[in-house]
Amino acid sequence: MANEKILIIDDDDDLVLAMRLPLEAAGYKVSRAANGEEGLRKVKEVNPDLIILDVMMDTTTAGFQVSLALRSPDADSEFQAFSKIPILMLTAIHTTTPLRFGPDAEYLPVDAFLEKPIEPAKLLEQVRAHLRTR
Amino acid sequence: MRNQSVSLTALVEAELMASGAWLITIRWLAGLGVVLGTFVTHTILNVRLPVVPLYIIGVAILIYNACFRAILARLARAATPAPQAFAYLANAQIGLDWSAMIALIHFSGGLESPAVLYFFFHIIIAAILLSPRATYFWAAMATLLLTIISLLEFAGILPHEHVRDYIGIELYTNPVYVLGRLVFFISTMFVAAYLASTLSSRLRKRETQVVTLSQNLLTAYTRLQTVYESAEAVNSTLELGEVLDRLVRRAADALKVRACSIRLLDETGARLSVAASYGLSDAYTQKGDLLLEHNPLARQVIAGKTIVIGDVTNDARLQYPHEATAEGIRAMLSAPLTGKKGALGLIRAYSVDAQHFTPDDAAFLEAIARVGSIAIENALAYRALGKLDQMKSKFVLTVTHELRSPVSVVRSLMRTILAGYAGDLNTQQREMLTRVQYRADFLQTLIDDLLDLAAGKADLAQREDRVIVRLDEAIARIVERFKIPADEKQIAFEWRCEQCPERTLTISATGEGMDRILNNLISNAIKYTPNGGRVTVHLRADNATAMIEIADSGIGIPPDALPHLFEEFYRAPNAKAQIKEGTGLGLAITKDLVTRYGGHIAVQSQPGQGTIFTLTFPLVTELPM
Repeated sequence: MANEKILIIDDDDDLVLAMRLPLEAAGYKVSRAANGEEGLRKVKEVNPDLIILDVMMDTTTAGFQVSLALRSPDADSEFQAFSKIPILMLTAIHTTTPLRFGPDAEYLPVDAFLEKPIEPAKLLEQVRAHLRTR
Repeated sequence: MRNQSVSLTALVEAELMASGAWLITIRWLAGLGVVLGTFVTHTILNVRLPVVPLYIIGVAILIYNACFRAILARLARAATPAPQAFAYLANAQIGLDWSAMIALIHFSGGLESPAVLYFFFHIIIAAILLSPRATYFWAAMATLLLTIISLLEFAGILPHEHVRDYIGIELYTNPVYVLGRLVFFISTMFVAAYLASTLSSRLRKRETQVVTLSQNLLTAYTRLQTVYESAEAVNSTLELGEVLDRLVRRAADALKVRACSIRLLDETGARLSVAASYGLSDAYTQKGDLLLEHNPLARQVIAGKTIVIGDVTNDARLQYPHEATAEGIRAMLSAPLTGKKGALGLIRAYSVDAQHFTPDDAAFLEAIARVGSIAIENALAYRALGKLDQMKSKFVLTVTHELRSPVSVVRSLMRTILAGYAGDLNTQQREMLTRVQYRADFLQTLIDDLLDLAAGKADLAQREDRVIVRLDEAIARIVERFKIPADEKQIAFEWRCEQCPERTLTISATGEGMDRILNNLISNAIKYTPNGGRVTVHLRADNATAMIEIADSGIGIPPDALPHLFEEFYRAPNAKAQIKEGTGLGLAITKDLVTRYGGHIAVQSQPGQGTIFTLTFPLVTELPM
């Protein structure tokens, strides 16, 4: 069984629970941060193998900022060592914002989107897929 | 009232000119009359006369008349003749005529001459052409000249020309005759002068009244026209700014003044802010609000009074007298704008002339204000309504946004539980949790639909990115999606477009929105068509519009349900009976989207036979920049 470390950065306890149960059942070690700032701290602390990242937390774009900080092209970035960790971003595909985005190296450097509501089977499938391509 | 006095002078001038011409015509007759009269009397009737002087007088009259005619013609040609020129000319004519008359009288028998009666005409002419004073002057001159001639002849200083064949005996030496003749002549002259000048001045007064009246009528007509046009103009729009702009422009034009402004009361009802202005500098309109507390004038107007400020330089009621003076304003006229629920503000006209505004002007501005108040109130109500609608939509948007996230979490948790990650479930638990999940999923659909609808109404639609959508591609994509569900119900599902290979039919929309529209209509058609039925999607176009027809052989829509079909949360009773779940929002969203893209949706239906939805969109090949 896998025992990779997964960091969930999300402010919603219940959603974290809905993800934690299937992930732990699959043998992953799950840690959690409740906002962007704590998330970045935990990345350094835990050095996870994969990050599940929510967009709206204490600020509406906290998730974007976390991903931009982690994937900073700056060679002196404090997150240089963590820039290769796969990021799955949580979204509701049904969005009313006119903003259209997709995984994009420059604007939104994440590896894939996880649709809400969380389907445990799909979650595990995506996690496995991105851990493998690492 | 400068305009009127100018045209009155013009009128008097025109009259003097016409009279001058008329006098010249008469004088031709007078000159010829003297020549012919002398000829007939002397040569045919054999009356002995001093022929030579009389002929000379006749010819002299004709000559100076020709001169006057030339002068008058030149004056008439001049662009701006001096106003006094005509009066001088009239006096000169009368003076020369007088001299000719005196000479004529002298040579035809002095006091005994029958020509004495002709002075009568001269007095009447003077009364017509000149003022009463001038008429009396000339009457005095006539009596003076005749008296002098009579006395000189009486005294033997001036030789008397005696027309012996007319009066046998010589009377000019008879003092009683001389006195009697003179007294009657003088009194006749003055009575004639009095009567003629009184009549003439009465006529002139009437003439002035007629001109003034007709001018007032014209002004009143113009203003009535303005009130009517203003009413039309301001009621043809509900945009407040436009209503106010039209009002100030029309009012200033009709009052023939430099500027006009409208100030509206703010929410507190304590200050008046400029809402529209015409003809005023920015500095003046931005000088500040009128505070009712410090502004007795504004207070009075708001209380419903129309107020004229004749001279801004000495009126204590003004809050900004120096600013007004600096702007070049001397007089102001303010009228209240009053709506059904009280004061709205005031309309104010500004003139550069002190004491410019008349009571007529005040009545006119009041009329404009009444018309304007109705329009302003309508525009304000319309604006409030729009705001309310937007607030409502924003509220729905916020609420549904807040609802989405917990529902989404509930669904995530339900899925985790049902997948067995929270422990094993017995059959009954599993069944019940499946029902909960089903309900939560429906709740999500409802929220998403509401969100769509609210987003469209909350003005977010304007921010969406329009693209050129190819209709055949958009339809083909959705048709593909419903092929399997249609097959499952053995529905003959057909999609056709005769013009498609040759013509690329495109409209301006969003890809997602167009998907939503077609998805809603085609899924309904398949949902409400019984097994073995038929669903057809047909695309065609004329020069300017594309038409998509979605026809089914389904359960149809009852006639009394048709008017409510596009209402939010409405579901036709037969649809509800057949399929329990449904938000009743699909068609409301569809109509909203279609309308946003400049299109139109129509429905025809026969219960038990089927339904046809027809969408029309303007064909667009390029997005407007």
